[in-house]
Amino acid sequence: MPKNNVRQQIKGQKNMLPRHIQFTTLAEGPNLRGHWLTEVENTYESVSYSFLFRGKGQIFGLPQNFKPYPSGMESYLVATKNIQATASQIKQLARNLKQGTSSDRETIQALFNYVHHIPSAPIITLTDALSALERNEASCNGKSRLLVALARSLGYPARIKGGIILKESNKRTSHAWTELFINGVWVPFDALNGHFAYLPANYLELYQGDAFLITHSPGIQFDYSYEINRQESLPMLNEEAEEVKKVTTFSLWGLVKNKSISKKNLFLLLMLPLGGLMVALLRNIVGIRTFGVFLPVLIAFSLLETGLVTGMALFLFLILFVGFITRPFDALGLLHTPKLVISLTLMVLVMALGNYLGISSGIAWLSSLTLFPTIILTISAERFSKLIVEDGFQKATGTLVQTLLAVGICFLLFSIKGLDAILILFPELLLLVISACMVLGRYVGLRWTELLRFKPLLNSKIA
Amino acid sequence: MLKKIFQINNPKGVIGLNRRNIEFIYPHNQRKHYAMADDKVKTKMILHKNHIACARTYAVIERISQIKAIWASLQCQETLVLKPAKGCGGGGIKILRKNKDGQWQSSGRTLTDSQIFHHITSIISGLFSMASNDVCLIEECIVPHPFFAEIYDRGVPDFRIITLKEEPLMAMLRMPTSKSDGKANLHQKGVGIGVDMKNGTLTKVYNGKSYSDHHPDNITQVHGKRIPYWFTMLQLAKKTAKAFPLEYLGIDLVIDKVKGPQIMEVNVRPGLGIQLVNQCGLQSASQKTYKIKL
Repeated sequence: MPKNNVRQQIKGQKNMLPRHIQFTTLAEGPNLRGHWLTEVENTYESVSYSFLFRGKGQIFGLPQNFKPYPSGMESYLVATKNIQATASQIKQLARNLKQGTSSDRETIQALFNYVHHIPSAPIITLTDALSALERNEASCNGKSRLLVALARSLGYPARIKGGIILKESNKRTSHAWTELFINGVWVPFDALNGHFAYLPANYLELYQGDAFLITHSPGIQFDYSYEINRQESLPMLNEEAEEVKKVTTFSLWGLVKNKSISKKNLFLLLMLPLGGLMVALLRNIVGIRTFGVFLPVLIAFSLLETGLVTGMALFLFLILFVGFITRPFDALGLLHTPKLVISLTLMVLVMALGNYLGISSGIAWLSSLTLFPTIILTISAERFSKLIVEDGFQKATGTLVQTLLAVGICFLLFSIKGLDAILILFPELLLLVISACMVLGRYVGLRWTELLRFKPLLNSKIA
Repeated sequence: MLKKIFQINNPKGVIGLNRRNIEFIYPHNQRKHYAMADDKVKTKMILHKNHIACARTYAVIERISQIKAIWASLQCQETLVLKPAKGCGGGGIKILRKNKDGQWQSSGRTLTDSQIFHHITSIISGLFSMASNDVCLIEECIVPHPFFAEIYDRGVPDFRIITLKEEPLMAMLRMPTSKSDGKANLHQKGVGIGVDMKNGTLTKVYNGKSYSDHHPDNITQVHGKRIPYWFTMLQLAKKTAKAFPLEYLGIDLVIDKVKGPQIMEVNVRPGLGIQLVNQCGLQSASQKTYKIKL
């Protein structure tokens, strides 16, 4: 059974038990084993045990040389039936690997590298340390036993650790890795997946020692699977609906939990008013000119996928490029709407071409073009070419630069950590946007850019 | 810090776009009446109905099928102007003049009838008005009073008078320059010349950066120059303001050589650059009531 430790949190355990089945837990050394027992014969029953796991990755720094281990570690140094630490081939290999290394750390690295480079194979039968070495292929079981055996033969306390790598799927495979006792801490090494002194966040630790995760009484039919589902969580709270209820009565977290709406989409929806308020401030107080009111907000959203700098560059490029290639169509004197469709089509073609080139030449940023909402880009490009006609190239470029400024500010606003959680938990905060706009809507003062424009009239002292 | 940002020194009562919108446009101009000013044909109908001096309307072409017949009926004219009713920034305006051989010319080039028809079709299909369709207005060509040529003799200059509740607040003369391509707009490199409302004289010339006493292309001083028909123009502006249900207006006028002041256009969202030209804020101007004796 899973247990809490510094890097994993287990909660919300649920045990579905049919009537005839009894469940008990028993401590087996440091591990906890669950027992499902029944007296009834000739029936099929299904049991399920579920819980919520929350883990974090952990990286360990290794010193060059390790302190001597304390007493009481003897059991982690002995040879066992499947971990043949005293077998001559193992001892020979360990000695060879140690040669030429100048510190404990390097020795461990050499052992790890050797085991890691053994070809992996999905072997379902039990592979002990020796046969992993002899066959020169192994799964996680064989590799973890071999690494433990090599370490023990050189006098480093080592043990097997068992658990499950969590990925959103149904599976039947569990996982085993190695832990070495270094300066008072058990440090993880996964020689199959190449994690040296590092355990990723999605590793569920279940037991230690060279044991089986599941065993069953002889003479029964038995089958099992691990069902793994991802749960959305809010970084600021400890994810559970119960805890959310304690803080707020009216939150939208339920929608995300039920998967009615994705967290990202909900966040975007809730951020729209805030972005709008930001643009309103920029327009009415600072006095910058932008393409429309909500266009900068929408552009900022599309940049969330690509990152600010790449996104801005792509945005600029696409607008100028489409503005340029639609020029011949402007000269034809076409009606507004069909011309807009032509621009849209050209935009889609450019993005498709970019994708094709990006994938065929392996340039990542080129293939990210589809992530841009095409309509937003096309409207921006159209606004820009319209502005060039109405205000002249210089003023239109000014508006474009100021729009990009507003986009950047909105982008920074959306990147504030924890803002998504706050808005999802307290959507009523958006009412503050309304009150802010009530105040802003009555602001009759000069805009900052107007201070500059009317400077000759504002500086003079004569009333 | 906040105080410094929001409590700026504004001794001349300059208004910005925020105050213009909230205190001048929203309470005084109802949106449903905007079309009266934005659509030049509607404006002219109101002007004609109230017998306010403006260029005579020769024809209004609404459909492409009307072009041929209407054009034929205009052949008795010597000069005329084609305008999109909802055009902006002066786009699509064409001045046509007959030469000695009776052929129509525009900016020195002879035009065939089919070229003219094509231009009218472009106007009607909305090419100059950012709309799906428009109407072509054909009107009398105004011959500018020699007063304008004394300052600068090319392009189309005009006066702008701002009125609030039928009271003229501020005025300026907009003049093209050699750099402005015939346009008189301040942001297209034209110049604005301030107007002394009480005395009907010109004040300083403002080019968007600095002030001077003369037009950039002419060394003759304009500061103090008397404006012909000034009080007739004020009267005309007041009459125009009365004819429209809009209370805050920018009225554009031009002086015809023979017929005197004529209304050209009416704007519901007049720009704020006039404050810079006159070195005076509209807020102060609206508080001082000129009460000009007419």
